[in-house]
Amino acid sequence: MVATKTQKADSRKRPLTDDRLREMLHTLKLCRYFDERMEALYRQGRLPGAIYSGRGQEGTHVGVTSALRADDSLFPTHRDLSAQLTKGLDLPRVMAQFWGRIDGYLRGRDGNSHIGDWQGNRTFAVISHLPIAYPVAVGAALAYKLAGDSRVAMAICGDGSTSNGRWHEAINTSAIHRLPVVWVVNNNQFAYSTPNTLEFTTPTIAERAVAYGIPGVRVDGGEVLEVYEAAREAVERARSGGGPTLIESVSLRWRGHAGHDPATYVPAEMLEDYMANHDPVKNFEEYLLAEGVVNKEDVAAIQQRVEAAFDEGYEYAQASPFPETGDVTKGQWVEDGYWEADPGRGGGTEAP
Amino acid sequence: MATAKVEAGAAGHGAEPRGKRTDAGEATYLIAVAEALWEEMERDEKVFMLGEDIGVYGGAFKVTEGFIERFGATRVMDTPIAEETIVGMAVGAAMEDLRPVAEFQYSDFMSSGFDEITTVLARYHYRTGVRLPVVLRAPSGGMVRASNFHSINPEPWFAYTGGIKIMCPAFPSDAKGLLKSAIRDDNPSIFLEHKWIYRRIKEVVSEDPDFLVPIGKAEVKRAGDDVTIVTYGAMVHKALEAADTLAAKGISVEVVDLRTVYPIDEETVLRSIEKTSRALVLYESYRFLGIGAEVAAVIAERAFQHLDAPVMRLAPPNIPVPFSPTLEDAFLPGVADIERAVDELSAW
Repeated sequence: MVATKTQKADSRKRPLTDDRLREMLHTLKLCRYFDERMEALYRQGRLPGAIYSGRGQEGTHVGVTSALRADDSLFPTHRDLSAQLTKGLDLPRVMAQFWGRIDGYLRGRDGNSHIGDWQGNRTFAVISHLPIAYPVAVGAALAYKLAGDSRVAMAICGDGSTSNGRWHEAINTSAIHRLPVVWVVNNNQFAYSTPNTLEFTTPTIAERAVAYGIPGVRVDGGEVLEVYEAAREAVERARSGGGPTLIESVSLRWRGHAGHDPATYVPAEMLEDYMANHDPVKNFEEYLLAEGVVNKEDVAAIQQRVEAAFDEGYEYAQASPFPETGDVTKGQWVEDGYWEADPGRGGGTEAP
Repeated sequence: MATAKVEAGAAGHGAEPRGKRTDAGEATYLIAVAEALWEEMERDEKVFMLGEDIGVYGGAFKVTEGFIERFGATRVMDTPIAEETIVGMAVGAAMEDLRPVAEFQYSDFMSSGFDEITTVLARYHYRTGVRLPVVLRAPSGGMVRASNFHSINPEPWFAYTGGIKIMCPAFPSDAKGLLKSAIRDDNPSIFLEHKWIYRRIKEVVSEDPDFLVPIGKAEVKRAGDDVTIVTYGAMVHKALEAADTLAAKGISVEVVDLRTVYPIDEETVLRSIEKTSRALVLYESYRFLGIGAEVAAVIAERAFQHLDAPVMRLAPPNIPVPFSPTLEDAFLPGVADIERAVDELSAW
């Protein structure tokens, strides 16, 4: 019988060096600030396309991804930009992607958080149909097992994805072959407007792991170290041949599904509770202050660094040219050579 | 080319498919496919296969019989019945530098993996530059009384998405050479094996381990002067049969076999139309928006000045493939239908 457990953060034990804890706070604050500023730009009509806020869920994203090595792979969703930033994506290139510029990771061929950097940071370029990357993660994990190396694949989806057949297919297949993969469900309690109660009947998602004969664990997404600990254990299990783990990290989606959605279906008191008591950024900052890992000045300096990085990224994105229209059909086939060559930079910076 | 009766199951376990040729060295289409897989598995250890019942059982049509004994269960991987995951796994493995060849038991079941094929596999390279050398193999087509869930021609579904090369060979040599090319290609491919041809058509096939047929090149299978039939897959054999009869009546038919249906070799088609000035487009995918609809459009657009007659199409209606032999025969273009169409074109 596979136990489902609930973990609680233990402030007496620090799982990481002080430097890494400070870096984690920096990442959390960067993700939060990025999310807030991008939404503001979207509302001002200064950002093309769509935005999918991950605010309130940074504890899940930063926590699970911090347990990965650089050569491990990550298969995220559109709401998991914070996970990709944690994995190592450069903020300026991320912002160039949002504005459809040639220096974005996908050269303007996909936008906003449909981002990925497989060649560099080993992140899958996000696809909207969820959880479409779950089966792909099985294949990457299979490759690691066949190669006999110690790499691990990690895939993230939301609670909504757990109702889809591929979620079952992928987890089941990975369990059969004991593949080195970590399945993360960011349970933010709403699939667009649909609450957990209309998505599944079990009290938790984590306990569904029992059906696959793999460990399942449920953690508080408001506590980044609690999430990290669960992910570290799961990654180690996968690396050492112990097979997959299902992690359910519970949070609340503070904003709508996308920028256009006011999310009035989320009960006001629920949102207030999560923002007051389960804010992963605030909670972690308070924890590090209490532990003496940072002081007020350090926190202010981190915030300053974050804001400067955003402004720098914004300027970089605006100065990056649009893709050349003559390249629109290139790159469907490998033999086009489009992705091997430097792209044309003559597209100008004037939006059509 | 010769036709033969349905053969019994393939030869001994673990034996090379080449040992299953006839004494005269001929290989059936099915054996030619198996030879291509075997040779590429031997050549490149990054090549591996996954699919339902392909291991111990040897595949629904026994194409991979004996492979698991030679290459082991990790390179001949039996999967659960989970088509989205079969395709997704192939994509993920290809992202990590392997060269997966996934088998569908029937091409009908590709619809169960549709999203991973059309949304991930087809679009990923254009979006990201990541190479996906994935081959999806599947038996397609009718004429074997297998009814509507085991007889479809899915190539238009996937041609429409772009980003995936699609092959529908008609002869054992083309099947072997194209499949080897597909496995070596860095782009995704769908390789459709017509199940009516599997054990009916055999010919002497090259034993050169580097025998390749280029993807995207059509071939004139019979030269003629009066009418061009542009076709592919099992319909090539129907066209050749009709051409024999028509020759006796004094009508010289040229048969162009597309071999690859996406992308289409427009130049070979157009060269033939310039010569004959009459075009019959014959195809087993549905008439409305099937592969031949595009071929007809290409001819109309690019060879208008050479035509002496309207471009004609012969293809099944967009209805489920019916079971009853009388209904299936009425549904599919037959040799008599082809002869009538050519007569009609010749009258212009």
